[in-house]
Amino acid sequence: MKRIVVEGLKYKYPLADSLALNDVTFDIKQGEFIGIIGKNLAGKSTLCQALVGLVPHFYKGAYGGKVFVGGLEVKNHSIADISLKVGMVFQNPFTQVTGSKMTVYEEIAFGLENIGVPRSEIIERIDSVLNLLKIEQVKDHNPFDLSGGQMQRMAIASIIAMKPDILVLDEPTSQLDPAGSEEVFQAIQSLSKQGITVILAEHKMEKIAQYCDRVLLLNNGKVVDFDTPGKVFSREDLEEKGVTAPVYTRVCKALGVKKAGTDEYPVTLEEAERVLRGDGA
Amino acid sequence: MKSISLYEEGTSFVHDVDPITKLWYIPFAILIPIILPLFTVSFLLIGLSLALLLAAKVIRKTIPVFGFVFLILITVVLIQGMFKPENETVLFQIGPLTMYKEGLLFALTITLRVINIIGAFMILVLTTKPSDLVEALVRKGMSPRIGYVVVSVFQIIPEMMATMSTITDAQRARGMETEGKLLVRIKAFLPLLGPVVLGSLINTKERAMALEVRGFNSQAPKTFLYEEKTYQFSKILQMGMLLLTVAAVVWRIFL
Repeated sequence: MKRIVVEGLKYKYPLADSLALNDVTFDIKQGEFIGIIGKNLAGKSTLCQALVGLVPHFYKGAYGGKVFVGGLEVKNHSIADISLKVGMVFQNPFTQVTGSKMTVYEEIAFGLENIGVPRSEIIERIDSVLNLLKIEQVKDHNPFDLSGGQMQRMAIASIIAMKPDILVLDEPTSQLDPAGSEEVFQAIQSLSKQGITVILAEHKMEKIAQYCDRVLLLNNGKVVDFDTPGKVFSREDLEEKGVTAPVYTRVCKALGVKKAGTDEYPVTLEEAERVLRGDGA
Repeated sequence: MKSISLYEEGTSFVHDVDPITKLWYIPFAILIPIILPLFTVSFLLIGLSLALLLAAKVIRKTIPVFGFVFLILITVVLIQGMFKPENETVLFQIGPLTMYKEGLLFALTITLRVINIIGAFMILVLTTKPSDLVEALVRKGMSPRIGYVVVSVFQIIPEMMATMSTITDAQRARGMETEGKLLVRIKAFLPLLGPVVLGSLINTKERAMALEVRGFNSQAPKTFLYEEKTYQFSKILQMGMLLLTVAAVVWRIFL
C-alpha cells in the first residue's frame, strides 16, 4: 500500500529565484524506511517539510504538483490535520522546545494535549516513549537544562508520542554522540518494524546504508536516484552530486571488489567483511 | 535555569487557593476602597493583604517592590502636601517649605490605594505558579494560544538572555572590549544586537514550525496532562467577595 505519493512536485520559496524542489516524483510504501541524502541546499529539508504541509502552508511561495500523505492531499489540508498522520522532527533541538512547559514530561505531553488525547492515555504514551528513547532519568528536568543530545531525544519522543503513521526526521541525530545516534537509530528501526513509515534526511551515510530500505538521492532540487542503498552508493557520479559513500563502500571501491553476482559495492560493515573475507561472497 | 517569574513555592493555605479566586481578589481589593472611601476600609484591606502575604511567608519578596513604589509615593506626598490647590490648613513648616493638611490627607488616600493594589497583585504573583493560573484560565475557556504566549514568555526571555551572554562571550573572545567607560559599553552593545535579534527571529520561525507539527492549531478539544485541581472554598470565597462588594455599594447608597 502506498503511504506517500509525490507527483511532479515543484516548489519555490517566496523571494527565491530558483526552484527548491524541481519536478520531484516518487512513492513510498507502508512501513518502508527511506533515507534522503544529498549535499547541503539540495532540497532535503524542503522535501521533508513538503510531506508535513509546512511547504506550502507555512511558507507560502509557488507550489506545483501533488503530494499525498496517508490519503490526504497536502495542499488541501491544514497542517493540524496532516500532523495527525505525519510527525516531523527538525534539525535544531533547541527550537523544538515549546517553552511553555517546566519539565520534560510535560513537554512531551504538549502535542498530546493539543490533539485531545485522553489523560490516561497521555501518561501511558509518555512513559513508553521515555523508555524507548532512554530519557526516563531526565523526565523531571527543565527542557532547557538538557544537553543537546538529550534535547534531541526529547524532540523525537515528543513526536513519536503523537503516534503518527508516518515519521519524517530531518537530521535527528546531529547533536548526538556515536553511541547516542546508534540508540536513536535502533529506536527508529523498531518503530519501522511496527509498520510506521519512516523518512529520514541524514548526512551519516554509514547509518543510512545500514538502516534504510531505499535511498532517495537529491541534487539541486531534483531526484537523481531512488533505489536500494547498494545501488545508490555504487553510482560512479556520487561525488559529483556532493555525497560521499559509506567508508566501507569507498574501501571496497578502491580495492575493486563488488558483491558477487551484482554490480554493487558493499555498503555496510557486514557486507564488506563478507566480501573481503571471500566467504559466501 | 534562571526564571523571571516571581513565584515563590510554598505550602501555606494562600498557595492552595484557586488562582481564579486570587485573580478576583484584585478587583475586589481595588473596588471596595473606591466604593467606601474611608481610611478605615483601606487600612482593613491593606491589613488583610499583608496578613495573607505574611501567612504565605512571601512578605520578604514584596520589600523590593514596595521599596520602589515608596520612592514614587514620597514625591506624591511632597508635591500634594505642598502644592495641592485646596491647601489651606498649615500643618507644619520646615524652613521655607510648608506642609498642608488637605494635601497630605489626599496623598494618604493615594498612598493607601497604591499599597492596596500592589498588595493584592503580590498575593497573586508571589503565590501562584504562572502555568497554574494560565491552565485554570484555559480550562475556563481562554484561548490556549494566548495561554501559550503568557507561559512561554517566562522561559523564552531567560533563554534569549542566555543567548545574549553567549554572544557577548564570543565577541569578547574575538577581542571586543565590553567593559569600561560608558562609550565603550555602548559600542560593544551594537554588534550584539544583530545576532541576538536575527537569531531570535529565526528561532521564532523554527519554533512556530515545531509547534505547528505538534498540533498547536488543532481544532480538537484540548485535554490536560494533569487532572483539574480541586480547590476548597473557591465558590464560597468568590461569592463572599461578591456579596461584600454588593453590601458596600448598598451601604454607600443608603447609609
